[in-house]
Amino acid sequence: MAMRSQVYEWDGSKGSGAAGSTLTSNDAGKSVSIFIGGKGNNITKPAETNATQFIVIEEIASTPSYFGTTASTGSSIGTSVRGLNGIAPLTAAGQTYRGPLAYTQIVINTTEYFLDPDNIANSGVPGAASPFPRSVNFQPSFNLHPTVYVLPGQTFDVRYTFYNTTHGTGGAATYSAGQDMCFVKYTLYDGPDSLIANRLLEMGITVNPGNVDWYKRSLLSAASAPALATNGA
Amino acid sequence: MAMRSQVYEWTNNSATGTSSIRQTVDPIAQTVSGNKKTDIFIGGIGSNITKPAETNATQFVVIEDVATSAHAASAVQVRINTTDYFQNPDVTDQNGVPGLASPYPRGTTSNGAISDNDTADLVVIAGDNVLPSFSLTPEIYVLPGQTYSVLYTSAQDAGVTGGKTVSCTSVACFVKYTLYDGPDSLIANRLLEMGITVNPSNVDWYKRSLLEQQSMPSTGGVA
Repeated sequence: MAMRSQVYEWDGSKGSGAAGSTLTSNDAGKSVSIFIGGKGNNITKPAETNATQFIVIEEIASTPSYFGTTASTGSSIGTSVRGLNGIAPLTAAGQTYRGPLAYTQIVINTTEYFLDPDNIANSGVPGAASPFPRSVNFQPSFNLHPTVYVLPGQTFDVRYTFYNTTHGTGGAATYSAGQDMCFVKYTLYDGPDSLIANRLLEMGITVNPGNVDWYKRSLLSAASAPALATNGA
Repeated sequence: MAMRSQVYEWTNNSATGTSSIRQTVDPIAQTVSGNKKTDIFIGGIGSNITKPAETNATQFVVIEDVATSAHAASAVQVRINTTDYFQNPDVTDQNGVPGLASPYPRGTTSNGAISDNDTADLVVIAGDNVLPSFSLTPEIYVLPGQTYSVLYTSAQDAGVTGGKTVSCTSVACFVKYTLYDGPDSLIANRLLEMGITVNPSNVDWYKRSLLEQQSMPSTGGVA
């Protein structure tokens, strides 16, 4: 299995059952690894590539947010908009947004991928720009192009940060399934295809399944071409 | 990391004072004056950064998308050094791309209503999902050494109200850009000189061309 499309879904409420294994309001403003952060569903060790693996991260997304308005007194000031929660704005000093205010950052070894224009790392891609799940109400403004390469031997991480502590149901500070989610789509190139991916990288060619296949076809064409016979006469 | 897809999100929300450096926990909507351009990087309202957005000698930025809230008569303008990008046909100033044409988030409501069940003056109309009518093609280039800013304007006379009042509004802006750094910045400049669009594919194409030239056998002269 040389090239494989892979996905990873994280939900901050799906902890191991141990105390402190789910996301709480105390985690607001902190970046949490979706792989080994100790919150939500995790894996057993940091995400990394071995010497014969090459990963291309093609998409990251997280729970969206909604920015709104209240126009006057007397109007309803509900706590939910399109499935996203927050506290009623007039009781909470202007919190006229709904959802977690979530962001997703990619870290390769120790380097954060997304920077602000002042060259300082930010929290990453807003869920409002790259929502998960997508719906008619929440559509993506962002696509990860160029894609992010994780070279053989590198460690990578995806980190989730939220800033609204009251995005639980009815404006609560405790969170249920689906209220803090993250999604990663990547392609894993293994074995010979990892070598080809490295070769494409050296050649300045985008690493994607189409170009890996093209390179294989080029090798086969070169191998099957008749060798030019040298005439000693 | 030579070419990187980057994003910047601004909101008028800040936890303390009228602005904060980067996003803060449980921020509160801040007031934005009507018909006044606010720099989303260093404008002193909402989430800001530490210094004006600029490219150094080895950076080249291509702005690929700008978007803003569909409500509060929002609009977004791009300024390179001191020149505003979007102009009226009579070459006068304008507020830029309206949020109704380039909404952020995509699929949001046109009035920013807070409750689905609202029966007063904030009714979410079924199927009220604002989608983009605008795409930034051609993109905007920020050359090495240039300063750029993205300016938010609410065309409402009252602007955007924030704080602990009977009415308040959160608005947001979004910028998607690609940062070319180091050697890729030089290639981006070269493509610009050649009249070729600067995008990741063309930068890769130029690199391949260089490699092919290097690997071609040199032709020997005949005595």
